Amino acid sequence: MNILGISAHYHDSAAALVVDGVPVCAVQEERLSRHKGDATFPMLAIESCLQQAGIEPNQLDAVVFYERPMLKFDRILTCALRAFPRSWRAFPTAMKNSLGEKVWVRGIISSQLGVPGRKILFTEHHQSHAAAAFLTAPTRRAAIMTADAVGEWATLSVGDGERMLNGSTRIRRFREIRFPHSLGMLYSTFTAYLGFKVNEDEYKVMGLAAYGRPTLVDQVRKLIRRTPDGAFALDLNYFEFHNTAERSYSSRFVELFGPTRNPYEPIDLDTAEGQRFADCAASVQRVLEDTLVEIARVLHQETGLQDLCLGGGVALNGVANARLLAESGFERVFVPPAPGDAGCAIGAALYCDRIHFGNPDRDVPDHPFWGPWVDGSELARLAREDSHFAVELQDGALIDQIADDLVAGHIVGWMEGALEFGPRALGHRSILAAPHTTEMRDRLNHEIKYREAFRPFAPVVPIDAATHYFDLPPGGKRLARFMSGVFPVRPEWRSRLEAITHVDGTARVQVLEPAMAPRLHALLEAYGQRTGIPVLLNTSFNLAGEPIVNRAVEGYSTFLRCKIDVLVGGGTRVIKRTSATAKTEAAKLKEEVA
Amino acid sequence: MAAGMVLARPHERPTAFDRMLAPVHRWIWSDTDRRIQKLLRFGETETDGGRDILRAAEVTSDPLLRRLYLEHAIDEFRHGVLFRHRAAALLKVSASHLNSGFHGDWLAPGGHGLDDLQVDGESDCDMLAFLHLSEKAAASRFTVYRDVMQNDLLTRAVFEEILRDEMFHMGYTLTQLARVEPRRHKRHLWHARLSRLWKAYLRLASGLAGILGSFLLTIQYFVFLPAFAWLAKRAARQEPSGWTTVSPGRGDSLDRQY
Repeated sequence: MNILGISAHYHDSAAALVVDGVPVCAVQEERLSRHKGDATFPMLAIESCLQQAGIEPNQLDAVVFYERPMLKFDRILTCALRAFPRSWRAFPTAMKNSLGEKVWVRGIISSQLGVPGRKILFTEHHQSHAAAAFLTAPTRRAAIMTADAVGEWATLSVGDGERMLNGSTRIRRFREIRFPHSLGMLYSTFTAYLGFKVNEDEYKVMGLAAYGRPTLVDQVRKLIRRTPDGAFALDLNYFEFHNTAERSYSSRFVELFGPTRNPYEPIDLDTAEGQRFADCAASVQRVLEDTLVEIARVLHQETGLQDLCLGGGVALNGVANARLLAESGFERVFVPPAPGDAGCAIGAALYCDRIHFGNPDRDVPDHPFWGPWVDGSELARLAREDSHFAVELQDGALIDQIADDLVAGHIVGWMEGALEFGPRALGHRSILAAPHTTEMRDRLNHEIKYREAFRPFAPVVPIDAATHYFDLPPGGKRLARFMSGVFPVRPEWRSRLEAITHVDGTARVQVLEPAMAPRLHALLEAYGQRTGIPVLLNTSFNLAGEPIVNRAVEGYSTFLRCKIDVLVGGGTRVIKRTSATAKTEAAKLKEEVA
Repeated sequence: MAAGMVLARPHERPTAFDRMLAPVHRWIWSDTDRRIQKLLRFGETETDGGRDILRAAEVTSDPLLRRLYLEHAIDEFRHGVLFRHRAAALLKVSASHLNSGFHGDWLAPGGHGLDDLQVDGESDCDMLAFLHLSEKAAASRFTVYRDVMQNDLLTRAVFEEILRDEMFHMGYTLTQLARVEPRRHKRHLWHARLSRLWKAYLRLASGLAGILGSFLLTIQYFVFLPAFAWLAKRAARQEPSGWTTVSPGRGDSLDRQY
């Protein structure tokens, strides 16, 4: 049975294909269209999935959209009505936006793929999140919690899932919190207030929080009160996201927290103003964590289960995830590699397979590598055409050479195998570097990633060595499999792991099992043999504002535009001509053709 | 350049239309707040343009074009940074709050202006012709912007620097077009011109349709919605806060869109 899952139209659209109960491909549209956060109908992603599986659209048994468009429209219309007459500006835009494309999903899918309407199905948004979290996790029974900004109406839901002995699967949602009361919107509002991009830069708020103290928690708690039944409600006097499109916070919010940050001014943490912004970030982070932990604790008591599956965009908050593991009572916390809306494509397809069609449960491979493959020979050809040095090496020689490069302080662009699904680079499209000094961190920030100095870099470590360098609680290795948790670096190693140790002594570590990415694991071992520390800095292979690279040519063009020293694609290793030669050649080229 | 081909050299001279609009541009750029907004917008446009040209570098099979596109893209990214930095510097001293209002975006477009670029699927010839005309139009406008910026020498210097690059971009796109398609390069240029005109028409038409749609929806909002709004507000008041129980079987049917 071939089932295609689609998420689209809001942010980060994606497609995923499940064949006979097992995902065979999943990819975000942005990785193919090269537009970051591409929300358009994911035609390229769909084509890629079908091509990878070698099937035609008419061989699809079902196409599942990740939410119910009319229910979403109902929420948009109702909110406009509730905010009457203040919503008069937002109303025409919202209606044109929804009625233009977003509510006609069945027709769009049908016309784009030529699939009959009866084959097109719809899951609920949080149902998709729940399925993506539970059905990809190696657990038989688990509590499920999903939290994001908003789906149709739900913003947070709790429930449980079970794989029965007879092969059937059950996912239940007990209860939900509904829009406009939303932890995701609360966090996004602070993201906007702090001058970052909503739906994109929330992780910057989390990074900034480590520089601040939660001195404004009382003020944040004015914005979100706990209800007697253990849920929460936002005080809407401080928000405008529910009735205007212009901004998400109100004037009262600004009165409470002070003037907003100018997004074009860097945050200077040595000034009182910069510290105030960091304190705001720390305070909302604290309140978010407290709220999640309390809800999860009740869920644990209610279900008595040992495992928790987390889904939704809020599950990208690694600091909160680590606190959930430590304080909620659950022994293991599972976060899929793509807990956000893109991951709903895979969730919707799996839900359809297991629950709608009632197909027997199948184990889903426990890795994030579901995208297109990189072609090392293509990289070699490109580099040779441009007179860069390219060599194709056997695995062992390549690993040794790259380990030597890393020891020499070179920064390596690393592409191998299938592209990751989800926002994290987990070893197939990564920039790797030695993790030991702050100079390396600053070099990466200033010369390669072109990003704010306060943002930390993540490490990757083999599973056997993980607890030696990082203070992982029981269950920590699992949470760190897809870089979903932030844990302390052991104090004795912090001075030797400066580039990946955040200001508060933590790191968003990836714990690597050999089976998941064997070549990267071998590289870590080789690096460990040379330096005594088998840890590497691992950051996504992209530049600021761009999606993670997919094909060899994208890695190559990124390599040429920044100061990455060595590029690896499959078995090909490329180094640049010296920068002086390259500059002269570029000037000569410009002169010649101009 | 192809043998025997004589091509006009690009020149730094605004078109008659842009010269005619010089007083309008002078007025638009005279206000610091508007200037900041426009520079920020230009910064975004240049960066977006850089991404498109980078994509062109990634999809072309011609190694020389790949290198040139890459240089071009790097220039565009740098222009984006120049515009943003200049806007940030002005913002620091102006106490502007980046409020929305009339900024004359349509009258004073940025680098690639309002042109829409679909890189994947474009041939090298179409791409080069498109880029040449876009750069030419941008150079013409930027010349006017530079000339009206008599009282802000630093912003003027930014345009000056960018104009130098635009000259190179105009030049290489034309010579490469002649190299790639020696016999029919003029036809490609005309095709690109017509395509720009068609896109301009589509933009105008969709813009007008958008305005008309907004107008009609706003009327409907005030005429038909008040009663429903009253009902919705009453229902909202009665809605309990906190948890809402999910009834069993609520999401069971996957056929429904609601």
